[in-house]
Amino acid sequence: MAIGDLAFLIPLLPALAFVLTFFLGKKLPNGGAIIPIAAIATSFVISLLITLNLLQNPGEVITQSYSWFAMFNLGILVDPLAAVMLTMVTFVSLLIHIYSVGYMSHDRSQSRYFAETALFTASMLSLILSDNILQLFISWELVGVCSYLLIGFWYQKPAAATAAKKAFLTTRIGDVMFLAGIVILFSDLFKIFNGTIPDGVFIMRFDEIFAHIPELAAMNANILGMEVSHITIITLLFFGGAVGKSGQFPLHVWLPDAMEGPTTVSALIHAATMVTAGVYLVARTFPMFIAAPDTLLVVAYLGAFTAIFAATMGIVMNDLKRVLAYSTISQLGYMMLGLGIGAAIGAEAVGMSIFHLINHAFFKALLFLCAGSVIHAVGTHDMRQLGGVAKVMPITAATMIIAALSLAGFGIPGTIFGTSGFFSKDAIIEGAYLFGESSGMWIPYVLSIVAALLTSIYIFRLIFMTFFGKPRTDYGGHESHASMTIPLSILALLALFFGGLTSRRFNDFVSETFGNNFVNMNIPELAEMGGYHLAAHVGHEPVLILWMPLIVAVAGLLIAYLIYGLKVVNMDNLVSRNNPVYKLLYNRYYQNAIFTDFISVKIIYEGFAFAVRSIDRGFDWVVNWISDVTIETGDSLRQFQTGVIQTYATAVVAGVGLLIVLIKVIMEVI
Amino acid sequence: MLNKEITFNPMKILTSAYHFFRPRALGITVAFLFLAVLMVSVFFTSWPSVDQLPQNLEDPSNIEGIGVMIFTDFVVPFEILSIVLLSSMIGAIYMAKGDDAQ
Amino acid sequence: MIPIELYVGLAVIIFTIGLYGFMTQRSGIRMLMSVELMLNSANLNLVAFSSYNADLTGQVFALYSIALAACEAAIGFAILMTIFRMRDTINLDSFNILRW
Repeated sequence: MAIGDLAFLIPLLPALAFVLTFFLGKKLPNGGAIIPIAAIATSFVISLLITLNLLQNPGEVITQSYSWFAMFNLGILVDPLAAVMLTMVTFVSLLIHIYSVGYMSHDRSQSRYFAETALFTASMLSLILSDNILQLFISWELVGVCSYLLIGFWYQKPAAATAAKKAFLTTRIGDVMFLAGIVILFSDLFKIFNGTIPDGVFIMRFDEIFAHIPELAAMNANILGMEVSHITIITLLFFGGAVGKSGQFPLHVWLPDAMEGPTTVSALIHAATMVTAGVYLVARTFPMFIAAPDTLLVVAYLGAFTAIFAATMGIVMNDLKRVLAYSTISQLGYMMLGLGIGAAIGAEAVGMSIFHLINHAFFKALLFLCAGSVIHAVGTHDMRQLGGVAKVMPITAATMIIAALSLAGFGIPGTIFGTSGFFSKDAIIEGAYLFGESSGMWIPYVLSIVAALLTSIYIFRLIFMTFFGKPRTDYGGHESHASMTIPLSILALLALFFGGLTSRRFNDFVSETFGNNFVNMNIPELAEMGGYHLAAHVGHEPVLILWMPLIVAVAGLLIAYLIYGLKVVNMDNLVSRNNPVYKLLYNRYYQNAIFTDFISVKIIYEGFAFAVRSIDRGFDWVVNWISDVTIETGDSLRQFQTGVIQTYATAVVAGVGLLIVLIKVIMEVI
Repeated sequence: MLNKEITFNPMKILTSAYHFFRPRALGITVAFLFLAVLMVSVFFTSWPSVDQLPQNLEDPSNIEGIGVMIFTDFVVPFEILSIVLLSSMIGAIYMAKGDDAQ
Repeated sequence: MIPIELYVGLAVIIFTIGLYGFMTQRSGIRMLMSVELMLNSANLNLVAFSSYNADLTGQVFALYSIALAACEAAIGFAILMTIFRMRDTINLDSFNILRW
């Protein structure tokens, strides 16, 4: 039996673990953590075997699909893209689950935690495995629900409940766009088939969708006097969904607030599952994106802007986890940028972006778990109260520094020496350079290189403030338990070496996604349809460009060291409420004021909700009126039931008398 | 008391009649309606009957005939009736004795 | 020969009186008496038709119905006694717990 036949077990086992843990968890030690751990470990082994098999036999893409209803199907598709994602998700999720055993050991709702994380993992895995867009959407929504449950895990805390709601509603905006895209896609495909779909053709399956890209591109809609191709609309709507899920610029507001959940949940959301879903969606439907004029440019610009936008806010945050949250947004921006530059380099962009996604998963999970370890031991996540933690928690400090190096992107260009983050981020920045070179649009490159500098500054600021210097307050810290440090060490090894070992191979492997027996796309041809001119491969840039990311990374490290390590610059003047720039950044560009206080409260709540409420009141009145009349009628009618037998007798006699008279009269008339 | 003067006061009679009928108006109406209906039915129906009532001048009683019928044709209802009577008697006594039955 | 209509009419009048009593009286004993009246008007009918059709069956059943009336009266009065013991009244208006 081929290992591919077991692919369906990958999401099924965690889902089963969810059911078991949910019902039996309370009776087992550690909240039944062993069930999801075992399930996800099995899934990991299966995914790893599938990936290795695919590496050796590139053609053996696993496709299974079963008719669901009408022209829809349920199925699984494991191509290189899905395989690496599966392996990464199961692996990171497994480590986080093991780590959680220690981290959540004091929580009373452990079993609920493990059940929900198992469901979360299961939904994400089924999202990755989907071979049609409808199934992907269902899993997408499931992921959203689970994130709601997990962010609001400590629902007793009002902040957590609010954050959960915010996350759910914000991503929902994206979800609605995604759904709208699916609906348009469906109706277009239906039109292409002239409404008669042959048996065995499932029109929402990716191969079917991709096969009809030329027809989709030929359809035009007239929006505000502009001729817009349908494929542009669809891809923009899909990207809207990805913006919501992956925390890109206008819809990123939920991500920092999502820190209200347990730190392990943050690690799970930010590293392995939720936020990567958006990137995965764009990568999965990349042939559509590259065939759509201008969509990829939007992706690139928005990604680059998000990268720098979030990085600036990361610099001023004082909360350990919030810095990491903004870092996640920034890195997701990089991933989107990586996809966007597919406009210049074609399918290789998917490889680069997913490569960064995987590396990011490793070092971001590591960063979060380290932060969790610090928080668990010290009991605070305000960096101003920390300092000198490295002395009491050497393993955590060491692993966190490795993660920071990886995030900042330290490595020597042209060799295999370097952290994982270096290889992937470098590739994206160089891709952005090529993008600028071929199209003349340099803004993404400039933004990405500045963001790289800022990344380095904020992450080393975090390191210096937390782990070095003198303790600023008294705290009793101790190194965490082995169940927490071992996952940290494993992740640290990966964050250091994974990129270097796989760099070139990985790109080629993932780029094969769109050239196999299931989906066979001619990417350059599609790019022509979208009006893009593909450049040559990465690696022909000037030397300065190759070294630039490293230079800015080192520069960031030095700046952070000077300011926060040696304190040569007195920050007190700069960091004050009177400094307008600091104020702007600290208040996060007043997004809260704009999004929450203005748009949500003023427009949605007070304006729109009022109108809806008035209509609702109208319906209420009608409904209440009907019920009132019924109640009053009944009230008066029930007075007939006096409970006195004479009354009933009287009524019977009177009734009989009247009946007889009536019959008599009728008989006479007849 | 006996030689209480009887005076004829129409107003007083009407008033007392009103006070008598007022609370019973519904009952009286219904009863009269029923009575009227039945009376109409009774007097406008031709009931089957023999032309001449049987006359036996030596023994005008029909007790013997009834007794014979009870113990021949209708003996089963008679027995059942005896059981009904007995059980109703027991039930009535049980209920009427009340709490001090024990 | 007296026409049968008069017997039946008398029965109807007695029945209506019983009915009226049953409908208007509040006391349990009076109601039972009214029920007796109605039963007896039925007996009257039975006997009348029995005689006028030369068939003794009706008179036999009149006897039976008298016996049943005795049963009914015995049980009725026993119930009334129980009620009286419970509530110190046999005014059936106050027994309206089956009311709305």
